[in-house]
Amino acid sequence: MVLGKWLVVMAMVMAGFSGTANAGDAVAGEPVFDLCTQCHGTAGEGNPSIAAPGIAGLPEWYVAAQLRKFRNGHRGTHPKDAEGMRMRPMALTLGINADPALSGEAKQDAQDKDLDNVAAYVASLPQTKPAASLEGGDSARGQGLYAVCMACHMPDGSGNQGVGSPPLAGASDWYLFSQLKKFKAGIRGNKPEDITGVTMRGMAGTLADEQAMKDVIAYIKTLSK
Amino acid sequence: MLEHYLPAASTYASDIDGLVNLIFWIVGVWFVLCQVVFFYFIIKFRRKPGVKAQYITGEEKEQKRWISIPHALVLICDVFIVYGAVTVWVDIKQTLPEPEESTPVRVIGQQWAWTFVHAGPDGLLDTPDDIETVDELRIQVNHKYRYQLESEDVLHNFSIPVFRLKQDAIPGRVIEGWFEATQTGTFDVQCAEICGIGHGIMAARIVIEPAADHAAWMSENAPRTVLAATTP
Ligand code: HEC
Ligand code: HEC
Ligand SMILES: [Cu+2]
Repeated sequence: MVLGKWLVVMAMVMAGFSGTANAGDAVAGEPVFDLCTQCHGTAGEGNPSIAAPGIAGLPEWYVAAQLRKFRNGHRGTHPKDAEGMRMRPMALTLGINADPALSGEAKQDAQDKDLDNVAAYVASLPQTKPAASLEGGDSARGQGLYAVCMACHMPDGSGNQGVGSPPLAGASDWYLFSQLKKFKAGIRGNKPEDITGVTMRGMAGTLADEQAMKDVIAYIKTLSK
Repeated sequence: MLEHYLPAASTYASDIDGLVNLIFWIVGVWFVLCQVVFFYFIIKFRRKPGVKAQYITGEEKEQKRWISIPHALVLICDVFIVYGAVTVWVDIKQTLPEPEESTPVRVIGQQWAWTFVHAGPDGLLDTPDDIETVDELRIQVNHKYRYQLESEDVLHNFSIPVFRLKQDAIPGRVIEGWFEATQTGTFDVQCAEICGIGHGIMAARIVIEPAADHAAWMSENAPRTVLAATTP
């Protein structure tokens, strides 16, 4: 089982996952970010009342990868994924105002350019400090559970581009909770072609119940300080 | 006439188009007539040297005729429009097909996607063979469907232009209606009620297929699988 997962990870690395373009231009991405501020806030700090997570300071490769997933339907197309469905059209509109005369590959390039630029801009924003909102987690128990996560999300929760795992330290607790529930229920990471999503879905399966999720999140929060 | 711009693909599309045409011609004729009279008067009573402008109160009989006769004629035209509208309304909105001769389908609108719950081979909703899809509705041609329209969050509107179908979705309510497709093909489904920043691209497809193809699709995908759309 564990070996199987590592084979997947290896395949991912060999498939050049880590090579996904880091070609964005943050300055050109700033006007594109206007759209995102509607939900993610002007500083990318997020807005819990509409379930929009903080995104400021996430690594460029991760933001670009997630935007591509939203765009191609790997994320945000499950009927129970109300939040993902709200995000998906936003990814689809990126580059929509590019020269209407463009078509085919040239159009795709223009859309990719907006996507990569806004990802670079998001990455350039200083990370924000979300308020804690989740209660009832036991960080001591969570530390034990985090041993599994460490391999990919790193001991300090900083993530690892090599395996496509994002940083967790500094993320909102409610958002981590919602994503773990989605992974476990197969609402995120349910497309076989979504290799990194499928990998993480298997990992969420190691958390027995919601209490275990709260515990591991309580521990992740101690990493943010 | 309208079919020239947009195919008519449901049994009642031509009724709606007929109504639109009826209103167009009645109102159109009156519009042209009014303009002709106005311009005639404007020219006839234009400023002339030595003629003083008069103030007309419209109280004399032969002046009032200019209002009362068209008024009566317009009311007669209204009777035709109201009769046509009520007949179509009763057929489309008030009369649901019998359960035995139709298949239910659940349509759920949410910011900003459509989820469709197909009844599956057994023709019943909420059974294990239901097929749930996002942004893609699949139906059989020449067969009646009863839709149950719901909203997860705000007002939406379930609109299939080729069916001439447009129905508001209201959170907390289940709204029933029906449609029957008359030709195969893939057409647009859209949201026709402003519902937030993603409203403009809250679109889906409807795939209308022959009975055999549809049955094959159902048996391939039931029991419940979640097929999500990959492209808008
Ligand atoms: C209509 C509101 C809305 C807008 C506008 C919006 N988003 Fe989102 N975004 C969301 C929601 C809600 C989620 C959470 C999805 C989930 O729970 O799976 C999200 C998730 C994300 C994620 C995933 C974060 C993670 O940690 O995996 C990224 C990246 C993102 N948005 C970037 C953007 C960018 C860039 C823009 C502007 C182009 C944007 N969003 C515009 C609502 C929005
Ligand atoms: C085998 C590597 C691996 C392990 C082990 C792992 N993850 Fe992940 N995790 C990932 C990858 C890859 C992603 C990105 C998924 C994607 O691309 O959609 C991810 C994403 C996540 C996310 C979503 C973050 C976001 O911003 O949306 C959370 C939360 C998460 N992991 C928590 C955990 C926890 C808790 C554990 C331990 C129980 C864990 N992960 C173990 C690889 C791993
Ligand atoms: Cu809508």
